[in-house]
Amino acid sequence: MTQADLTTPDAPYLDVADPTFSIRSAEVMAARDASWYARTPYGLAALRYDDVQKLLRHPKLRQGSYRWPAHSGVTGGIFAQWWESMLLSQEGDTHARLRRMANPAFSPKLITDLRPKFQALANRLIDQFAAKGECDFIADFTEPYATGVICDLLGLPFEKWRELADIAGEMGLALGVTFKQDLPIVEAATARLLAYAEELVAARRAEPSDDFIGTLVKANADKSQLSDQELLDMIVLAIFGGIDTTRNQIGLAMAMFIEHPEQWALLADQPDLAKAAVEEVMRVRPTVTWVTREATEDFTYNDLPIAAGTTVHLFSQAACSDPAVFANPDFDITADRKPHFGFGGGAHHCLGHFIARGDMTEALKLLAQRLRNPRFNGTVEWLPDSGNTGAISMPIAFDPS
Amino acid sequence: MKVDVDMSICLLHGQCVIAAPAVFSFDDAGGLVWLSDVDEGLRGDVEAAADACPEQAIVIG
Ligand code: HEM
Repeated sequence: MTQADLTTPDAPYLDVADPTFSIRSAEVMAARDASWYARTPYGLAALRYDDVQKLLRHPKLRQGSYRWPAHSGVTGGIFAQWWESMLLSQEGDTHARLRRMANPAFSPKLITDLRPKFQALANRLIDQFAAKGECDFIADFTEPYATGVICDLLGLPFEKWRELADIAGEMGLALGVTFKQDLPIVEAATARLLAYAEELVAARRAEPSDDFIGTLVKANADKSQLSDQELLDMIVLAIFGGIDTTRNQIGLAMAMFIEHPEQWALLADQPDLAKAAVEEVMRVRPTVTWVTREATEDFTYNDLPIAAGTTVHLFSQAACSDPAVFANPDFDITADRKPHFGFGGGAHHCLGHFIARGDMTEALKLLAQRLRNPRFNGTVEWLPDSGNTGAISMPIAFDPS
Repeated sequence: MKVDVDMSICLLHGQCVIAAPAVFSFDDAGGLVWLSDVDEGLRGDVEAAADACPEQAIVIG
């Protein structure tokens, strides 16, 4: 069966490869109302809540970006090697083993200890611009905050944040369309992060601890369960996967609240709503707007034959405004909602979600109390609306304090 | 040790099946099944599963 036979011609077509394509467009909403799936240049896209939820954990689908380096024409090298061996690219027994080994380092208990540090970090950053009444919310808050959280997690001093953000940013060029040209930079950055991880591990081996790295080092005591290389790969994944996502998601939160000032005022009055606010932002404005899956064998879903090798994008964003599930989908941090898919789901559900939920909750709580009446103060620069989205710069103004 | 899962919030991610395969599994229809009375020797695994559950749906009695 070829790719073309897979879909009936009357299913909507979405050109997700077009740089102007928006996953938030009326076109996508109309497609979702007409059909549970759309055809795309890559394969299929699931559009509705129930289907996204079922397909996230479908046994015939695997995580779909494991061949990204090869697809970009990059074979060999330490980035490709890391990408292909790390948790997200693994399935079945190997994935389960790595995840079991990593779980204790990401447990909710460990995160509880970090909350006061997250608060101190947020306050320290807000202190630098609160009196001015304006800032670039990305450069001055979300980027140092997201990276500072990872510093806290790794036990590094905050002063390291710029260096870490730069290396992670250079490694992140691997996800762009110019990956092949940027390969030398990506390789150098990957080598530096691995060396960083090695230093952190050496320090904990010399002086055992119960923190994040210390807990991973303990898991590495049985090398058949977590080898030395797998330990380093996991630390690099936490750095790589934790910074841009958090930076983008907090920026998206601010954009939502600027567009809904009454919700911001409500959050300032009722800080306990911060936890729910994080969930509501991730429902309507997730940074990870879709996740990618690939069929491991031929199967049929909703009467649609899907051939082995087919790419299936699960449109988390479109699914979470599905009128079949969200009768009133408007942004409302007090509404009782079904869960969103901003952290994915199934076997690959975000391992860092307790950390991300904890740090974003603390950040929003303090921001709402300290930055009153935030508004845009110039042009916001955005990444494309699909895939992993967010603002690159966001000048804002607020009442000085 | 008693083990229960709040199926009103469980989303069937299967993280418990990964963390404690001797206690939690999926049946052929994809439903979650678990042992409700578990040997104390498996407490570590069950606690790891409860911690790993993204929805925090596992109740240890
Ligand atoms: C707001 C912030 C974050 C968002 C929106 C986010 C989102 C996601 C999503 C959607 C996935 C699943 C990808 C897929 O199924 O293809 C994922 C996986 C993952 N995330 Fe996050 N993430 C965030 C923060 C973090 C942080 C802070 C860390 C670590 C410190 C982290 C570590 C991971 C890891 C290790 C995986 C792979 C899990 C696996 O394959 O089993 N994430 N994340």
